[in-house]
Amino acid sequence: MTAVRDGSGTEGHVVGSTRSVAQDSSESPELAKARKQRRRRRLSKNWSLFLLFAGPNILLILAFIYYPLLSNMYYSTLDWRLGSATATSVGFDNYVRFFTSESGLEVWRVTGIFTAGAVLGSMILGLLIALVLNKKLPGRTVARTAIFSPYVLSGVGVAMVWNFIFDPTLGALSHILNFFGIESPQWYLDEDWALTMVILVYVWKNLGYCAVVFLAGLQSIPQELIEAATIDRAGPVRRFFSIILPLLTPTVFFLLVTNIIFSMTNAFDVLRTMTPTGHGTNTIIFEIYLQSFGAYQRAGYSAAIAVVLFFTLFIITAVQLRYVERKVHYQ
Amino acid sequence: MTQHNGRARRSRLTLGTTVLSIAMLALTACGPDTSGEANDDAEATDFQGVEPAEEITFWTNHPGGSQDIENELIEEFTEETGITVNVVTSGANYEETSQRFQTAQGNAEADVVVLSDATWFPNYLNDSLIPVDDLLEAADVDPSGYVEALYEDYLYEGSHYGVPYARSTPLFYYNIDHYEKAGIDAPPETWEEVAEVSKQLMEADVANSAFAFPPQDQYPAWTMANLVWAYGGAWSDEWDFSPVSSSETIEALQFAQDATKDWANVASGDPADDFSAGAASQIIQSTGSLGGILESADFEVGTAFLPGGPAGEGQTPTGGAGLMIASDSTPERQLAAAMFAGHMSSAESTAKFSQETGYVPVHVDADMSAVYEETPQFETAVDQLERARVQDNARLFVPGGDLELSQALQNILTTDADVEETMQNVQTELESLYESDLAGEVEQ
Repeated sequence: MTAVRDGSGTEGHVVGSTRSVAQDSSESPELAKARKQRRRRRLSKNWSLFLLFAGPNILLILAFIYYPLLSNMYYSTLDWRLGSATATSVGFDNYVRFFTSESGLEVWRVTGIFTAGAVLGSMILGLLIALVLNKKLPGRTVARTAIFSPYVLSGVGVAMVWNFIFDPTLGALSHILNFFGIESPQWYLDEDWALTMVILVYVWKNLGYCAVVFLAGLQSIPQELIEAATIDRAGPVRRFFSIILPLLTPTVFFLLVTNIIFSMTNAFDVLRTMTPTGHGTNTIIFEIYLQSFGAYQRAGYSAAIAVVLFFTLFIITAVQLRYVERKVHYQ
Repeated sequence: MTQHNGRARRSRLTLGTTVLSIAMLALTACGPDTSGEANDDAEATDFQGVEPAEEITFWTNHPGGSQDIENELIEEFTEETGITVNVVTSGANYEETSQRFQTAQGNAEADVVVLSDATWFPNYLNDSLIPVDDLLEAADVDPSGYVEALYEDYLYEGSHYGVPYARSTPLFYYNIDHYEKAGIDAPPETWEEVAEVSKQLMEADVANSAFAFPPQDQYPAWTMANLVWAYGGAWSDEWDFSPVSSSETIEALQFAQDATKDWANVASGDPADDFSAGAASQIIQSTGSLGGILESADFEVGTAFLPGGPAGEGQTPTGGAGLMIASDSTPERQLAAAMFAGHMSSAESTAKFSQETGYVPVHVDADMSAVYEETPQFETAVDQLERARVQDNARLFVPGGDLELSQALQNILTTDADVEETMQNVQTELESLYESDLAGEVEQ
């Protein structure tokens, strides 16, 4: 197939194909054979180069992502105690159990609340901070660094520090609340307060990431549009909702997808450190740990929940890519 | 063109199916055996003719910050026997060590491993541990010197699966300064007396709370076993879970719930922190916490036996960890491992280990005079071993049993939950866990 460089891709393809057919019908069998050999050699060379450069990465991905993924899917069909050399095949029983048990439904409820709180909290606060940081204020570089730094800190370390702050008897927060005559909530003993606490800590840790990404989005908005709107007497609120927010939709979309995935998978360190037994904070990622390593030793059941989490994230991402992205306003 | 696409699609489908089939075959080959054929080919080894190996591997989480004293004891062992011990830090706590040992599935390369009272049983069920009775005999270790209740913790179906090592029990701690201010002369001996002195402490307004119960993540089912036993209740009787909702257990837990409305509270974290800070006047915590409490408290600390109740004098549940020997090791390494376990739990070693860590001595002949001189409170912990009682199966052996009990206890202590209804639900849950995860594998 001959490439045509001066036309559109479609035209080039059609024209090239026509020429190729014409050549095929007129040339001798020897020439055709030689061309086939050349093509095969070129293909072989391309494949060798591809394998040379991509092969090691493909092998690593196969070994450390797809092999464990498929292994996990296989284990999810077993009634298997962690570490046991024997197991019983149970088909889809583990999935049925997860979707029909009371504890499974509770896990979905907690996961939903945590994800909604963590994602919305991080994004709304991140956007507000980004709007402030986008202004030419003194010390804004230091402020940006300070706001982003919690994101790169260890989740365990962050959670341990917040444990000292939230302690209702000895914590800093309880002393502040007591100063105003307010009794500290039982952050660790009450399920609802425990969930609120971990959402607050996760939002604090994560909002720097959202702020920095929003800031990048804000800085890509053409200033002329803002200035033109200002000349047309559009106030800050109007400018935000009519210009800034529509132009930020790709950033919002990107953050929405990544934050949902992060909050469902990356929050484990904070949850485990602040609430070691998952009291009120048993999200799906925590349940995977609890069912296998944490308490129940059910490796097969835990694997099934992990598969459910994988497909949940897969579906969320696919739906967002398929339907939400269409409505995103790209410049 | 359509024909070509069809061929390509079929070719891709064939390739995909082949790859998937190979992958599935590989997966089933690497996973657990699902054939349903029991592996009964293990035969008991006669250790009498076996020579100990020259080198073994010891997996430990250095319980109670014991790295230095462990190294010292290991050096002594190597000097005495010529056997080299490779020490592997296998985790930050008992749970991590057990998880690592379990997931290694026969590739652990550990000959001796530290496993706690609550983590050794799943490893037994996985056939990862070897009974130590014959091994100890072959290694000239006399188990009759161990504190009986501590050694009996590892007895199952007629064989012992470990030797006691870093063992602890709950202990009653009280703030002597608070007692003096409230005019209390002596620590309570029964739970009724605990209520009386606690009311006096509350009246004297010396602390936020007279007594602090542990929260869900601080093993309340361990320390509160004493309260339940004192009223004649229990978490279970062997594999019978009806005692967990018996009238005696409910009476005990009702007492605790009433206490939280009057003179007790539930700590947010480790009750030892509240006690050390003077926020709680009395707690029941591990003997292993004694060193930390003495270090951080700026008041005089008193220790006493756990309280008794209508059913008799106070009993203390055993706890902590033991040394287990891997079934996958060679007989030579197993014999050397038994010699090592015997050395680490000998009267001399356990005295040194207790002195450095705060764990109770596991050997009746341990000379603890030096420890008592330095820390007189520790004598109570050792004397209390006479009242040690092996924990109930519901907490120790049922996977998830401890968590179910802990959740229920926190619910009772922090809300107005109906005690009887809560414990009946726990019984149902324990029976369900037993039926689904254990019944087929344990002796009825």
